[in-house]
Amino acid sequence: MKNKKLLSIVALITVFALLLTGCAKGGGGGQAQGGKTTITFAHWRPEDTEAFKKIIAKFEEQNPNVKVEMTITPSANYIANLQGMLLSGEGVDVFTTFPGSQFETIYSSNAYSDLTNEGFVKNFEPALIKAGQKDGKQYAIPYQLVYNIPVYNKALFAKYNIEVPKDWDSFLKASETLKKNGIIPIAFSIDVSPQQFINSMIMNNAPEEDIFQKLEAGQTKLTDEWFIKSLGALKELKDKGYFQQDVPGTKADGALALFAQEKAAMLAAGSFSMATVKKQNPNIQQGLIAPITTTEDKAVWKGIHTSTFMLGINAKSKKQTEAKKFIEFLSNVDIASQYANETGQMVTVKGAKYSTPELQESGKWTSVKTRFQPMYTFKKEEIKTAIVTAVQKIQQGISVEQAAKEAQIEVDKVIKK
Amino acid sequence: MSVKHEVNSAPEAESSAKVANNVKDIMKQLILALYAALILGPFMLVVMTSLKTTQELYQNPLGLPSTFHFENYAKILMEGKMPFYFKNSFIVTIISVTLIIFFASLASYAITRLDGWKSKLMYGLFTIGMMIPTQVNMIPLYLLVVKLGLNNSILGLIIIYIAFAMPFATFIMVGFMRGIPKSLIEASKIDGANEWQIYSRVVLPLSLPSVATVAIFNFVWVWNDLLFPLLFVRTDSVKTLPLAMLRFQGEYMFDFPMIFVGVVLASIPMIVTYVLLQRWFIQGLTAGSVKG
Amino acid sequence: MKSRRILYLFLLPALALYIMFFVIPTVAALGLSFTDWNGISSNIPFVGLDNYKELLKDNIFHKSVGNNVKFTLVVLTAQTALSLVFAIFLMKNSKLNVVYRTVFFLPMVLASVSIAFIWMFTYDSNIGALNVMLGNLGLAKQSWLGNSKIAIYSLAFAQIWTHIGQVMIIFIAGLQSIPENLYEAARIEGASAWQTFRYVTWPLLIPAATIVVALTTIQSFRAFDLIFVMTDGGPAYATEIISTFLYHNAFINHRFGLASASAVILMLIIAVITYTQSKLLASQNKGM
Repeated sequence: MKNKKLLSIVALITVFALLLTGCAKGGGGGQAQGGKTTITFAHWRPEDTEAFKKIIAKFEEQNPNVKVEMTITPSANYIANLQGMLLSGEGVDVFTTFPGSQFETIYSSNAYSDLTNEGFVKNFEPALIKAGQKDGKQYAIPYQLVYNIPVYNKALFAKYNIEVPKDWDSFLKASETLKKNGIIPIAFSIDVSPQQFINSMIMNNAPEEDIFQKLEAGQTKLTDEWFIKSLGALKELKDKGYFQQDVPGTKADGALALFAQEKAAMLAAGSFSMATVKKQNPNIQQGLIAPITTTEDKAVWKGIHTSTFMLGINAKSKKQTEAKKFIEFLSNVDIASQYANETGQMVTVKGAKYSTPELQESGKWTSVKTRFQPMYTFKKEEIKTAIVTAVQKIQQGISVEQAAKEAQIEVDKVIKK
Repeated sequence: MSVKHEVNSAPEAESSAKVANNVKDIMKQLILALYAALILGPFMLVVMTSLKTTQELYQNPLGLPSTFHFENYAKILMEGKMPFYFKNSFIVTIISVTLIIFFASLASYAITRLDGWKSKLMYGLFTIGMMIPTQVNMIPLYLLVVKLGLNNSILGLIIIYIAFAMPFATFIMVGFMRGIPKSLIEASKIDGANEWQIYSRVVLPLSLPSVATVAIFNFVWVWNDLLFPLLFVRTDSVKTLPLAMLRFQGEYMFDFPMIFVGVVLASIPMIVTYVLLQRWFIQGLTAGSVKG
Repeated sequence: MKSRRILYLFLLPALALYIMFFVIPTVAALGLSFTDWNGISSNIPFVGLDNYKELLKDNIFHKSVGNNVKFTLVVLTAQTALSLVFAIFLMKNSKLNVVYRTVFFLPMVLASVSIAFIWMFTYDSNIGALNVMLGNLGLAKQSWLGNSKIAIYSLAFAQIWTHIGQVMIIFIAGLQSIPENLYEAARIEGASAWQTFRYVTWPLLIPAATIVVALTTIQSFRAFDLIFVMTDGGPAYATEIISTFLYHNAFINHRFGLASASAVILMLIIAVITYTQSKLLASQNKGM
């Protein structure tokens, strides 16, 4: 008897739930209606949700026949998701990629539409969209501009009469002054900082921009002088106690909090973290600072930049026209400025106007001689991982020679293939 | 003599045994209480942290919040999408679990009733699935689901959950059904019952403990699962809770209080269900697994 | 005879869905382990056994297998022992015991993502409860997830914290199924507590123990979410296990073929271990 009752309850619940599904399908939007075309836009920045929603609303207002559906996957899972979407024509229309190995893989899989002849390409700074080019053709267009050099606390530097260092000796001296006054010179996280900070270490120890192409071609090794020197500079900072205690146990949020609370004077991250810092401490005055590992006259490069968040169109998409319309809309200078000011990210669009102090501060760097981030010039992701791991090993107290040797073993594995 | 001796010593021995027992008992209670604190402590901390501001968290990580910042919760609930996500999670979970039980019990019954090698083959085919890590079949599965047009739909999610639940469900149910005396089945056969009647009137009612196990395991799994929604769901109207949580982990990057607001909100329905039905959770689990 | 044919109909819905959405994708993945597919391209180069050969030589894969074995052994020993102790303490159905069981089982109902957040927070170097308490006691702070010697144990603890209730419940059920009169007989024969456990409880607990050991082994080898969110295999591969190795190769390095090969190896390892364990425990059962 009791069991029959139970079964009928289960049956009831099923019917009820099935009814609900029906409602959900009818009620929920998302389906194309009345001749509207829906395009899907995939990216990895949930923190930009609000900004993009406003932009998309404007776009849909101007293009009543097109609907944009945004699908956001945080970067740890982004590529897994994107892979699946790219494999099918319907999965995604407009998507973003990182420069370097991710771009290479998608390019070599013929998954990008060719954008070379599109009018909107001219809306971007030509020098900043090279990362999306291959054999003279434009396959993806970087939308964001990032400076991958530490952020510093201007007020703290002023308080201890520290001038922005222009060479290695003055960088060490500045760090020493901070340390003596009980301030952590550099907040360093084990997950984000390694691949940011090492760029500054490498840029003037190996000033040739194709150093990593040479590495991938087997013409240079990580056990060569340039990399040993780069790791050595990092090791010197560590041995002198210029990073916070327990770097291996500090994640990006912890390092950022140290800096936002003004316990640390520099943050080994990039311009992208300034907006988040500002949110945690609205009174902080931030600037960007590039550690120069040589003397001033030998410093070929004064900083590092990356253009990333590269917009591309799925070659298999059946909605090429609408997808291009959307990218064109994003490349509009007013829209790009709106995006920049709401998200705190710089953009690659010509003439973008920045209204926040952080963006204006970063904007000054456009006239500085900066180098495209070496860590994004690999064709193979394994090599980037090998270098990041080497930095992590230095932070764990392993010797420079050992870390370099182990990293080169990984590189050898990849280039042998 | 000896009798007298015994009489004298007995209370002594008893009392020392009692003391020993008391010490043991105190030790035992201490260990249990400590471990319970280890479970509940982090929970309390999560709730407290969700009511702090970020600055306060870094100044006073373990203390009580100076004032309860309920606006953290308001901020997320105000987004207005929360009821949607709850509803989606609810629908997917209820339908999946019901169908998992129905299909798995039918199949398990068939497996126990089939002849030697066929039964073994089917049982082996289903249970080998327990050893396969989900990351393996993700991409081929994605291609398939998209080809069939089942992506970004609640129906697609339900179908995938059913397929992936089969190994464990049949493992538990077959194990349990094999323990049901053959004589019961034979008897109903003699009474003229057909297979459907034996299944629905004899075997299924007797297998309720294993049904409970399978139901609970899958209820917890489907409700909490992130992987499949992550792969197959794009629009807000189909999004389930864990996926929504992951999103605002990104939106509130570096912000433990907001992340924990999400953790609390997503966990409450499960914890309430668990506390109300804990007898079922625990009994179901034991009945299903040990006899299997 | 006809009535038996309906049994195939009973199998049909489960079997159809399972084959379509589980078996076929798995076989496809197996096939991919012989290719050098990048996961996106329509060009899928066949490379034979190259991926397997590469894995045999790959020191990071070796490390992942080693870490995985270490992780499993730690979880298996600590969790089984601890849960057995708790099960013995809590086997009687008193009110207080039921409360304890409810509490110990609680983490099982949370999403693994939530658990990962909770433990990341607890282990945090600066604001984590562990280090704050150590600091208050005047003891040295530890880098729970950053120190490559400690990290895997910190993760193992989080894994145990999550699953111990489930294992304990299985043991309690096993204990409760032992007839009371056997204990009485042991008492009459003057057996010590240890002897009672060794010769009465343990032999009869073996079916439960078999399940516990198999379940724990499979869970520890398949562990992914906790490690992926908390350390992502770091620092410097100190917590890389096979499932994270697989994920990194499939989705970061674009080596889908290699990832599939490592998945096949993972499957084989799990199969061999669970098979051996069940044989060992079964033989012990017979030996009694």
